[in-house]
This record gives sequence, structure tokens and C-alpha cells, in this order.
Amino acid sequence: MSRAERRPPGLYHRVVVYLLFLILLAPLLGTFVYSIATSWSATILPDGLTYKWYVALWSDPRFLRAFGQSLLVCVGALALSVVLILPLLFVVHYHFPKLDALMNILILLPFAVPPVVSSVGLLQLYGSGPLAMVGTPWILIGCYFTVALPFMYRAITNNLQAINLVDLMDAAQLLGANTFQAAFLVVLPNLRKGLMIALLLSFSFLFGEFVFANLLVGTRYETLQVYLNNMRNSSGHFNSALVISYFFFVLLLTWAANRLNKDKD
Amino acid sequence: MSFVSVENLQKNYGSTAVFSDINCEIHKGEFVTLLGPSGCGKSTLLRCIAGLTSVTSGRIFLDGKDLVPVSPQKRGIGMVFQSYALFPNMNVEQNVAFGLRMQKVSTDEMKQRVAEVLKLVELNEFASRYPHQLSGGQCQRVALARSLVTRPRLLLLDEPLSALDARIRKHLREQIRAIQQELGLTTIFVTHDQEEALTMSDRIFLMNQGRIVQSGDAETLYTAPVDAFAAGFIGNYNLLEADAASRLMQRPINSRVAIRPEAIQLSLTGSLEGEVRSHSLLGNVIRYRVEARGVELVVDVLNRSASDLHPNGQRVTLHIEASALCEVA
Repeated sequence: MSRAERRPPGLYHRVVVYLLFLILLAPLLGTFVYSIATSWSATILPDGLTYKWYVALWSDPRFLRAFGQSLLVCVGALALSVVLILPLLFVVHYHFPKLDALMNILILLPFAVPPVVSSVGLLQLYGSGPLAMVGTPWILIGCYFTVALPFMYRAITNNLQAINLVDLMDAAQLLGANTFQAAFLVVLPNLRKGLMIALLLSFSFLFGEFVFANLLVGTRYETLQVYLNNMRNSSGHFNSALVISYFFFVLLLTWAANRLNKDKD
Repeated sequence: MSFVSVENLQKNYGSTAVFSDINCEIHKGEFVTLLGPSGCGKSTLLRCIAGLTSVTSGRIFLDGKDLVPVSPQKRGIGMVFQSYALFPNMNVEQNVAFGLRMQKVSTDEMKQRVAEVLKLVELNEFASRYPHQLSGGQCQRVALARSLVTRPRLLLLDEPLSALDARIRKHLREQIRAIQQELGLTTIFVTHDQEEALTMSDRIFLMNQGRIVQSGDAETLYTAPVDAFAAGFIGNYNLLEADAASRLMQRPINSRVAIRPEAIQLSLTGSLEGEVRSHSLLGNVIRYRVEARGVELVVDVLNRSASDLHPNGQRVTLHIEASALCEVA
């Protein structure tokens, strides 16, 4: 049955959808209102509205530095994963398709071991010796790379399977392209969608990551989530402003990525 | 001297042979078909000729030069895939121009040659469309144009019509054949569809289990199958064991025979008596199952008028010319 023939959704279906939206949006809305309230304690509605928490937040150099550092670590980790995972995926799917099963198990490892546990291992390994990286952004970039791996691998694999990689490569090669030309001119442009989704998912996840950042680096290279944790004893209004700012930044990024990703019909 | 020549070609995957001892000669401008059931090795053979799959042993000559050590980019071979393999990120014009871009042909010449070949496949109106905006038949014509524009010495078609619906398939079949003849292009076509093979080809190589079973023009393959496989794969031959054939013809016959269903005549008077078991209407032909002397035969009769129909259970007589019996191995 085509979509046009379908009856409009009944009241029950609409209620379910709206209820879900309400449940998801209620805490966000509460936080937002709290972040623009002068004070809000014993009353149903806040006493008054103000921008001052946002002004205070965005003029705090420590916040701006944490924001920039978070951005840097995330972008660094994602750049590393693009550079490493894209060629890996290409080789796996074009030359060794059987390895895909093994890769599917490998990419689950970052999820199988809880961050609190793997942090201990990472601290042991990189705490001293020739690879002493604990307390520097480098260990976070490396660690975030492994966290992003499953998102990157799955999204791009789905995309690769959808484009019939082998036939495209074969066709390009018979038309005179070498492997690099075929990969860059034919395969890569068709992975744009999967890559965008992978990057967006990973970025949103990594930007909000706290456990690794706190345990491996802490205040020595403060990221946004660590900063938020360190500010927990300051004003709740101030923290709400931080959370909302953070949320809108991710939202803006998602929107921009979707715009860039639109098909050119 | 033949234009394409395959000598003792063999391809193994591990210890299993996909095909072995393949020998064939193809003349310049010829349209040959590799026909066979799926898994017979015909597509792998085509990929070996294209250079997309390595061969285990043997040689492939194109215009007197051994192709085996040559990379696929430098073989000068065009190929059309069942899946079309159009580049989704490029429009029709860019897809077709891709091969010329790789050859670093000048922009002016590229434009002219792309326009020419798009006109040839009747798609000049669609130059700026993207593959997802085209129908299957149009996609395959773009793929054909893309492989023709580089002026290949040899064109390979790997089941190009299999993903299309019947009407478009028939039309495109004629179009491919017309273009091939117009350009005098040596072409190897792979299919599992006997009708495609019979209608399009100058010559057919019938393959089974990694071997060429029989080769020849459509007429020879259809009327003189060499073995039971060939008889079973092409046409709907009645295959009779020696004893059944002897009983039916009432003379000693020492080998298996194949009889084409349309070579048996059906009438109400004659020497060989039988009874109609069932019949089915295939359009212009009525296909009867007739039992005679304990042998069940398939008999095809032209559907002239409804009054000619023999109902099930009717006694009929059959006439089989001695020349219609084809001995097969």
C-alpha cells in the first residue's frame, strides 16, 4: 500500500507520539527555563528571567578553553579514525570480505569493556615509560579513536554494502582508472552519506564523554564535561546554561551536517 | 586468423576448478554467446578475459597479443555488468565521459564523443540525469554507452539483460545487436537464457560444469545437440533411454535419443497410437503430454484454431520421422 492511500493516523497514534516528545523534551525544557531564571526554588514558575548566566558562562575564559579543548580532542580523534578506518574498510570489503566477520567482533570490544575498567589498564600502560601520555590530550585522542571505531565502522560498512563496491571498482578499472583513482573518484564520493552519519554520531558521543576524560587527563587538559563536573558546586543556573549551550551546539552541528548532506537533485 | 583466442584456460579456487581446458576462437566482428546454467563458469571466464580475475593457467590472445600479463586498464576491453555499475555520484554525461577522462582526452573531443555515443543509445536527452533518476533499461543503455565510448577492441556483456523486465529485455536485445553490427564490434555475451542466445548470436558456446560442451551457430545447437545436457538445456527435447526409444520406434536403437517436441506430428489416423494425458496452452503453441507404447512424450502443436484441440484422454496417432531422432551421448 502506498503512503498516499493510508488513512490519517488515529488519535491514539498521535497521542503516543506527542507523549514521547513530551517525555524527551520535558527535562530539556526544565533545564532551559532554569538557565534563564533569576531564581527558582519554592514557586511553580521562576521569579524572573535573565541572560546573566549565559553572559557569565560565555565570558568565563576557563569555559571557553574547555570548550576549545573538547573540540580539539574530538576533531583530532575523528580525523585519525577517518584516515585509518576508511582505507581499512575499503581493503576489507574489496580484498578480504571474509574479514568483515572478525572486524564485527573487534569493534564491539570498546563497548564490551566498561570505560572505568579500561581506564585502569590505560593508566598502567601509558602512565610511565616510553609512552607516558597520561594527562596529555594525546591519550584522549587515541582512546576516543577506539570509542568512535564501532560507529564509524558500522555506518560506513552499511554504506559500502549499499553501493556494490566490487562492480563499481571493476567498472572504473576497465575504463582505465587505477585503484587510487577508482577509490577517490568513484567510491569515496558515494560514501559521503555514511561518513557524515558516522562522524556526527561519534562527535555527539565523544563531545559528551566524561569517564575517560576525567580519569585519564582530568584538570590537566580540561574538557567540557570535566569542567561541568568541576563546576558542580557553583550555581545550578550557571550549569543549566552550560548544558543548554552544549545541547544547542550539537543541535546546530547536526543541522549543518544534514544541510550539507542533502542530495543534489 | 582469429581475433580472440583462448588456449587451455584454467581457473581454480583453491583445489576446485571453476573451469579447465577452455579453448575457443572468436573472429573479428563476431557476436558470440557463452550460454549455460548458473555456476557453469561462464561469468568467471568473462572476468578472466577482462582481467578482473586472474587465471590459473592458459593464455588469452587478443589480436595476436597475450592478455594474461596485461592489467585490466590496458586491455582495451569494454564491459557491461548485470548490476549496471553506474557511478551514482555522476550524471549520465559524466558516467559516459569517465573512460575518456582517464585517457586524458581533450574536453572538446570528449564532449563530441559522449554526445555521439549517447545518441547511439538514444539517451541524448538524459545527459544531465543521475542514475537514480533512470529506469533499469535506461541505466543499462548508459552502461553500454560508457563502455562503447572508449572504442574498445572487445566488448564483454555479463548478463546485461537479466535484471530487466521482459518487454524491455526484448527491445534492448535488438538494440544491442543492431549497435554491435553497426560498429562491427567483436562481442562476448554471457547469458543463461537460451532464447537470448539463439536470437542474438553468430555463434554459441554452450557451457556446463566448467567445460564447453558444444559450440556452433544457433541452428546447429538447436537441431543437433551433442549430449543429453545440450538437449535438455536448449529447447524442450524428449530424452529417451535406448530401450524406451526401441519400444517406441519398434526397431533396435542402441543409444539415448532426443526428439524435439515440434518434430512429432499429431493426427487422428496413423500407425503409432497414443492417448493425450494433458495439455497446456503456451500461446501460439499447444503442448501435449501423450503416452504411446508406455512412453510419455511432449508434443508441441501450432495453435491454429480452437476446434483442433485434442481433449485429455482422446486417442490420437503420432508420426515421428526417422530423421527427427537425434542420438545423444
